[in-house]
Amino acid sequence: MAHDWQPDFEQLVDEHQSMVFSLALRMTGDRGLAEEIAQDVFLELDRNLGKIESQPHACFWLRRVAMNRSTDALRRRRVHGINLWVEMEDRHGIKVEERASPLGARLEQLLATLPEPQRAALVLRYQEELTPEEIAATLEAPLATVKSNLQRGLKLLRAKAGVYLKEYIRGT
Amino acid sequence: MELEPMDDFEKELRQTFERQPAPPGMKGKIMARRRVSEPRSHAVLWQRLAASLALAAVLGGVVEWNWHLREERRKGEAARQQVLTALRITNHALNHMNKQLAAHGRAVQE
Repeated sequence: MAHDWQPDFEQLVDEHQSMVFSLALRMTGDRGLAEEIAQDVFLELDRNLGKIESQPHACFWLRRVAMNRSTDALRRRRVHGINLWVEMEDRHGIKVEERASPLGARLEQLLATLPEPQRAALVLRYQEELTPEEIAATLEAPLATVKSNLQRGLKLLRAKAGVYLKEYIRGT
Repeated sequence: MELEPMDDFEKELRQTFERQPAPPGMKGKIMARRRVSEPRSHAVLWQRLAASLALAAVLGGVVEWNWHLREERRKGEAARQQVLTALRITNHALNHMNKQLAAHGRAVQE
């Protein structure tokens, strides 16, 4: 297919490294693993650069591959839930509580305890601000499944936040 | 799920889940790995080319061998036909000679 847009690999890395790294980090909860995944995603992009048709296509492609590689990595490591965050603190010395908002830190921890499909839907919804239709296209999942995962994930996160952060719930 | 206006909890989620900066040096590592993988991809290309040529040579040899066998069979069949024709001619000549001898024998007796 003929297209005028000429991809510049270095520029694509500059523009999207934060997005790819953040997606991998929120999916795996491990900074080292997330960086490894992000590097692999960009090298895969380099191998497929000829197929990329436009800037939005590059962004869509990177999101999809980052989510797929993160899911693969999680399955390989068989690591789930909050232990990831404990491991993250142990291995990388990063205190999640060091964030500006304690509620934010707690929400990051709670996100890691959600089932993987719900976590994926919520990350794409609130980090990338995608619509359910765009999330369905990115995850190659039926729209109804994505909507259900969003609803259930949000409900579960609210419930967990309610348990851990009663003072916050009372305040809102 | 309809895209309803976000409530406070969702707004907090959006703020919390902002993109985080990539680790310093990640881009450098990507570019370094890219430089390493480039010559390897050239080597893979040459390997594939060499394998394709070898495969083409083997296939060419098989085709050539088949053609050679078929040609040998055709030549054999042509030689057989020539021998049969020669035998038919000889047979015809001998019959003719036989008839002449028989006619000569009868003339002598008379």
